[in-house]
Amino acid sequence: MVEFYLQIKFVHIAAVIASGSLFALRGLLMLADSRWSRHALLRYTSYAIDTTLLTAALMLTTIIHQYPGAQSWLTVKVLCLVVYIVLGTFALKRGRTRGIRLACFIAAIAVYLFIVSVARAHHPLGWFASL
Amino acid sequence: MSTTKRLWFALGTLLAVTFAALLWVGGGIYQQAPPLPERVVVAGGQTLYTRADIERGRQVWQSMGGHQVGSVWGHGALVAPDWTADWIHRESQALLDAWAQRDGGRRYAELDEAAQAALAVRLRKEVRTNTYDAASNTIQVSADRAAAMEAVAGHYVSLFGDDPATAGLRATYALRDNTVDTAEHRRAMSGFFFWTAWAATAQRPGAAASYTSNWPYDPLVGNAPTSDAFLWSVFSVLFMIAGIGLLAWHYAVWHGKEKPLTPPAVDPMSLLTITPSMRATAKYFWVVIALFLSQILLGALTAHYQVERDFYGMELSSILPYSLTRSWHTELAVLWIATAWLGTGLYIAPAVSGHEPRFQRLGVNLLWVCLLIIVVGAFAGQWFAVMQKLGLEHNFWFGHQGWEFVDLGRFWQIFLFIGLVLWLVLMGRALWPALRRRDDLASIVALLFLSTVCIAAFYAAGLMWGEHSHLSIVEYWRWWVVHLWVEGFFEVFAVAVVSFLFVKLGLVRARTATVNVLFATIVFMAGGVLGTFHHLYFAGTTTAVIALGASFSALEVVPLALIGLEAHETWSHGRATPWMQRYRWPILFFLAVSFWNLVGAGLFGFLINTPLALYYMQGLNLTPLHGHTALFGVYGMLGLGLMLVCLRGLRADRPWAEGWLRGAFWSMNIGLSLMALLTLLPLGVLQLSAVLDHGYWQARSAEFMNQPIVHLLVWMRVPGDTLFAVGALLFAGFVARLWLGRRGTAPDLAVLPEAGS
Repeated sequence: MVEFYLQIKFVHIAAVIASGSLFALRGLLMLADSRWSRHALLRYTSYAIDTTLLTAALMLTTIIHQYPGAQSWLTVKVLCLVVYIVLGTFALKRGRTRGIRLACFIAAIAVYLFIVSVARAHHPLGWFASL
Repeated sequence: MSTTKRLWFALGTLLAVTFAALLWVGGGIYQQAPPLPERVVVAGGQTLYTRADIERGRQVWQSMGGHQVGSVWGHGALVAPDWTADWIHRESQALLDAWAQRDGGRRYAELDEAAQAALAVRLRKEVRTNTYDAASNTIQVSADRAAAMEAVAGHYVSLFGDDPATAGLRATYALRDNTVDTAEHRRAMSGFFFWTAWAATAQRPGAAASYTSNWPYDPLVGNAPTSDAFLWSVFSVLFMIAGIGLLAWHYAVWHGKEKPLTPPAVDPMSLLTITPSMRATAKYFWVVIALFLSQILLGALTAHYQVERDFYGMELSSILPYSLTRSWHTELAVLWIATAWLGTGLYIAPAVSGHEPRFQRLGVNLLWVCLLIIVVGAFAGQWFAVMQKLGLEHNFWFGHQGWEFVDLGRFWQIFLFIGLVLWLVLMGRALWPALRRRDDLASIVALLFLSTVCIAAFYAAGLMWGEHSHLSIVEYWRWWVVHLWVEGFFEVFAVAVVSFLFVKLGLVRARTATVNVLFATIVFMAGGVLGTFHHLYFAGTTTAVIALGASFSALEVVPLALIGLEAHETWSHGRATPWMQRYRWPILFFLAVSFWNLVGAGLFGFLINTPLALYYMQGLNLTPLHGHTALFGVYGMLGLGLMLVCLRGLRADRPWAEGWLRGAFWSMNIGLSLMALLTLLPLGVLQLSAVLDHGYWQARSAEFMNQPIVHLLVWMRVPGDTLFAVGALLFAGFVARLWLGRRGTAPDLAVLPEAGS
């Protein structure tokens, strides 16, 4: 599988960008009070991208033999992913007021960017590692 | 004689004739199975293996999981090699290299083409000549072959232990260190592998092929498809086309001639009184959900072991090896589906007769407890067996029998049989008043009851072999259970139950349903009973098995060719009246059954059905392609659909979370499709290509399995499997909400608007 490492990593990163961009788009649509933010097409596209992202992530962990629970930067990524999903759900669906949805949306984007920084640094503190 | 009586007569005659043939040919298997010698000796007189070694070796193989670790004669698991093909290949290479070294000081691969061809001819003569002597009950091998056998035996002793030299292979084959506990046991197991390989290459006396009809394909030793395999493959296709033609004619003449029935104004099922024993079946459905989710988790682990021995850094394989996860995954498939159907039967029976027998609820509860004890007890025994902590003496009774789908220890098998008899008694006493009424429904009820009798009685086929029965004989009876029991009598039961439901809903006339059910039963039992033999083409059986198996199993496809008519009828029932909206999801699950029946059972099943096709495809990923799409696609979906019908009655006052069911339905269907199309089909075709190019052993070798493209295809399971698991969780969530959710107000869909106003 190591033969496909670069290609899988490319798919993973592309899916991360697509997933984040789509979430940002849906968030903005939500802020614009557009019903498109919950449109089935966007939802199903999001599921497809996230499943691809997950598959590539699982493949990468077994290629580099680094796993959440064993490597702290991966553990932080998974934990932050859970936080990101919860915040995202509140931003797009469960938040009762516009204020809550907006706050959750901004927090979710921040967590998303932090996860990216953890991935790039291979360090649990991400950006904050250099502080 | 009325149509119904004529059909009953035809069904009786058909079953009598086909079972007589099944038993008669089975008798031939008893007489002509490959001989198990008292001793395997070298020309000089030294004994290599005794019968006791070979039998003990088989016990060892069974104790580590048998069919769940690699395969023998093509039956079993997929990650480790087929030990028969692997032995043949390794022994051939060892022999050829030894001869090449002796003749010219070089390895076989380094010889020129002419020299290689000469040695190949010598090899064929060596392994194909049947040296079994019936008088002394011995197999004699040459000194050269004995040396090659010792080398191969040494390889297996190393592989199943913890020798670092074979650690890489163990990782590829998903074997844990010390899969077999002692060197003595490993050596005995190699004797069993040798014997299966010997039977697969030695010519059957008076025949032009080996005992396994030349399976596995290996041109080097002269194993190639027999002319019988070719002939019966062609004939079977002709029979199938003729069958489809006849059935289409029958449909054209008889089908859809009746005026549709006007549905009642109120859903008759909503008027049913839910008796205490019916209410007690709810716990069966909770167990179904628990077993289904466990099965998915174990399936994910099993698939993961194909690419990595550990699970994302966790050393799970040392406590839950592949052999166990696969055993439990396959057994749970049968167990949860069977539990769903048993529960449905117990729910339906009092509704059929309108009679709640005394102590029925107690019986239902008792059976449920028995089922739980069986699952927990049998699985615990298998864990101890596979971890080699049980000992061979107790393995057969309480450990792991190693026969795929019937791996439970004998004690647990008997317990399950008693449980099924208890189910039969409970069904019988609830159905009895309806059986005695002799009204329009009598024949469907009789068929329903007959199928429960057969479900209970035919599981006993799984008790027909003993600890030391011949491998071919075990395979014969094993397929009675897996094919006849699961694919035959459960099918009769399912057809009868679904038809009964539509009659009870007032959508179909009882008489019409009776004729249709009887006719459908005749059609699929016509192929189904003798179709059992299509699993046994290469299991040390005779040509009659190939002829009958190919011809009749091709007939099993006949009703599937016209399944679109049945699907359309089901769909029409769903739209017959506004209150049928209550059954929208059961109807959709029944439609999914029709779809997967055509695709999973019909297309993917027939892909591997003819003797010629199966000769090359047995034990490749094309088998689980059929297995997953047919077992879950047809029986699983049916189990879930029937369960929804029961839940509609059991939790009539609760609103249905349509969104959860919609998500579950589509996730499971799309997930199953992705699993089939992204991994199992392409990987199977890739393997098939390797078989055709190099021989069967190559498609199951570590070299093949370690290719990056194979790993990539296995990883492609993740999207489909994830989606499937999400679907199952949504289904579980839906069921949980029926009990744990708020009581809410269920919209009263049971009546027509005007009737309700």
